[in-house]
Amino acid sequence: MRMRKLLPLFLLLMMAAVIITGCTQSSQTAAPQADIEPPADDEPPADEPKGEQILRYGASGFNGIFNPIMFENIYDGYISNIIFEKLITHTPEAEFVPAIAEWSLSEDNLTYTFTLKDGIKFSDGTDLTAKDVAFTYMTIAHPSYDGPNAHAVSNLEGYEEYHGKETETFEGIQVIDEKNISFTFKDGMAAPANIECFDYGIMPSDYYAFETWEDFLALIDKPMGSGIMTLDSYEPKQFILLKNNTNYWDPENGAQIDGVLINEVPDESILSALQAGQIDFAQISSSAENLEAAKAMDNINISNYIGNGYTFMCFNTTKPSLGDVRVRQALMHALDRESFIKVQYGEGLGAVGMVPISPASWAFPDISELNPYSFDMEKAAQLMDEAGWLMGPDGYRYKDNQKLTLSWLIYTEAAWPGTLSGMAADTWKQLGVDLSIELMDGNSVIARTIGPEPGKKDFDIYALGFSLEIDPDPTGFLFDDDACVAGGFNASGYKNSEAMDLVRAGKIEFDMEKRAEIYKEWAKIMNEEIPHVIIAYRSEIWGINKRVNDMLIDTYATWDLSLKNVTLD
Amino acid sequence: MRNYILRRIVQIIPVFLGIIFILFFIFEQAPGTPVSNMMHPRMTPEQKAELEEKLGLDIPWYKRFINYIKEAAQGNLGYSNTHKKPVAEVIKDYSGPTLLLASVSLIISISVGIPAGIVSAAKQYSITDNLLTVVSLIGISIPSFFFGLLLLKAFAVDIQLFPLFGLKDPLLMSDNIFDKTKDVAWHLVLPSIVLCLNSTASFMRYTRSSMLEVINQDYIRTARAKGLKEKTIIYRHAFRNGMLPIITLLSFWIPLLLSGAVVTESIFSLPGLGKISVEAAMARNYPLILGINSMLAILTLISSLVADILYAAADPRIRYD
Repeated sequence: MRMRKLLPLFLLLMMAAVIITGCTQSSQTAAPQADIEPPADDEPPADEPKGEQILRYGASGFNGIFNPIMFENIYDGYISNIIFEKLITHTPEAEFVPAIAEWSLSEDNLTYTFTLKDGIKFSDGTDLTAKDVAFTYMTIAHPSYDGPNAHAVSNLEGYEEYHGKETETFEGIQVIDEKNISFTFKDGMAAPANIECFDYGIMPSDYYAFETWEDFLALIDKPMGSGIMTLDSYEPKQFILLKNNTNYWDPENGAQIDGVLINEVPDESILSALQAGQIDFAQISSSAENLEAAKAMDNINISNYIGNGYTFMCFNTTKPSLGDVRVRQALMHALDRESFIKVQYGEGLGAVGMVPISPASWAFPDISELNPYSFDMEKAAQLMDEAGWLMGPDGYRYKDNQKLTLSWLIYTEAAWPGTLSGMAADTWKQLGVDLSIELMDGNSVIARTIGPEPGKKDFDIYALGFSLEIDPDPTGFLFDDDACVAGGFNASGYKNSEAMDLVRAGKIEFDMEKRAEIYKEWAKIMNEEIPHVIIAYRSEIWGINKRVNDMLIDTYATWDLSLKNVTLD
Repeated sequence: MRNYILRRIVQIIPVFLGIIFILFFIFEQAPGTPVSNMMHPRMTPEQKAELEEKLGLDIPWYKRFINYIKEAAQGNLGYSNTHKKPVAEVIKDYSGPTLLLASVSLIISISVGIPAGIVSAAKQYSITDNLLTVVSLIGISIPSFFFGLLLLKAFAVDIQLFPLFGLKDPLLMSDNIFDKTKDVAWHLVLPSIVLCLNSTASFMRYTRSSMLEVINQDYIRTARAKGLKEKTIIYRHAFRNGMLPIITLLSFWIPLLLSGAVVTESIFSLPGLGKISVEAAMARNYPLILGINSMLAILTLISSLVADILYAAADPRIRYD
């Protein structure tokens, strides 16, 4: 009897204890950061500590992978780019230039030899040498490596042998002396885009040395590099505080501010946070209302530029209807993309897509030579008739007694595919197309389109957005015949050997002018054939507080690139 | 009683295995893999396949299930690919704020909601009752994302009284534990209001209706006829019986609160379990979803056991033998 009365009391106490320990745990997580400075006497929580110049950025999506060879999204990439330094960097004009090393390229265009600048040191004071460079690249090639950058080393001589544990050394990477290191690509792999392989931050080999891969991963949120800042404190999904690297090896070119505070701010609050001055700068999702709202704030400057990427729509050309280029063209003429851009992004926040190259790139062709597929229902109907798809009595088009039915896979994480397909459902219906729309998440779309082997792909149309690399080389991408495999990006099933010859020629052409010509030629073919049609080039908008000076954000310049120059009023 | 508890605890094991099995099966049906999210344009299909192999995705799911159970029994919940960390560590990182927010709002909603419900029932149709009813109906009806944004607009943007996001001020240099607590508390004010509004209102409504039911029963009339004081009737005779449905509610509410208030957490940018579980589902981060769900499953099972035991305490007629 007694037992029965005491037990519930005990349980209640236990529950209370769980709740209380819950509290103390979280106040413990709130504790580190104590070691920054001696305690200030009962000072109220000031927005800015005495005279410290902290630049505040707001975004969401950080995963805490602060490692130059492991990060998977652009947000973690920013952090890594600030903490680590790379062999090369690029200018806002998309030109690759030396960063911590000068390079030379051999006669056969296969061997890059890098010479490190003098006096480079990591933030703990140790020297950055060729050994550290080799370590960084050999880690990417390591058999246990599970990050997304294997492509950076897989074209180097001896990669398979080293990655497959057949050899202890990596033939393609040769440390010449403390300052010099060479990278040799496999025969036939010479390409101007190879320079992008050296766009990874260099890690100190002593600090990151590992026995097992778990040892390496354990340091993933404890980064150390030679960059202008170091990680001061990090709270997952709350903030990342970077402070000036007091040991920076080139003090004259170090940061002029004392640190960067990166706040995790949800998209819904970005505008309010900018307005309230709780953050200094942030990307604002591109829409007419957001641009209006940002323009109305008197403390904000706006940076508006065409992003390095595009949204596209893929036609499954293995289907009898979509295999006919006239049907694809008819569908595009029956899609009012001008209105779509106005509705979805707003006036001046997007441009009608033409070719799979960013309009900001040197490889973009003369726009007058391209077909913009302007909205023209008559032309669309005419093309359909020519293709043999004739209007039936029920308002749908038929060929060989087959109704023209299409199914479009829409991913719901972004709003634009829904808007676009909604508009298509209206105008394509008028054209006589029976369009059905399937909604799902992005991963499911990819699994049904890019995932399966050709012939087993269960879709007619899907749409997605891509950001591009700096180099326009489309190898392995949407338009590559060789990427028409399970897991390859070319889900359209479209192959064109003439276009592929151009792609291959462009990839290995070192003469920039000739190379541009090749890509322009190729782009025109794709503009005509449209197995993948480029829907729009989207603008990106950033709001930057007026107290921030000299920050440059542009198509090829993320904010971390100009961080050294930034000052605060 | 002891036998009953032992029996129930033993029963938890197969139920738990069943839950994990179902979760595994559902995930198997979801198209896409963690790798399909990592779409680096220069990555080759072979490199993608190698990554999938490293994540063990080439093994059939029922074998993965058996492996998972074996490893989980030894305390290894697997590895979260998005965070490149063990799942247990990720859960530990993110459960702090969720627990904090959940316990604050639970304490407030119990200590406000239940008394308010009793008062409301004891004085049925009085002005107090009507007022409380209106307030609680508003509390139940208002969507938390709307209310949250409203509060932010009013108290963080227009009057800049409270912070707009986060759980603490990263630039707070003070070492003083009092200052730090104050800082965290200040950050928690708005999110707790949002989270409390709904739960307090629910607790109040449930308490009110279950108390009313009890108050109208014969034995309360008998007590009144005996000439007992109204206070004694309400708090000693009626409340104890009226508490039974509240215990049930509580046993559902605790796991619900700990699963993370997804909306509240994302609006106020609090680093909690709700937020990462949504992200994990999007990224097909199976080990993390499984880890969070197993934790919730265990919590739910335990709290329903606790609720059953509490029934016996509240109502002497209930005996487990």
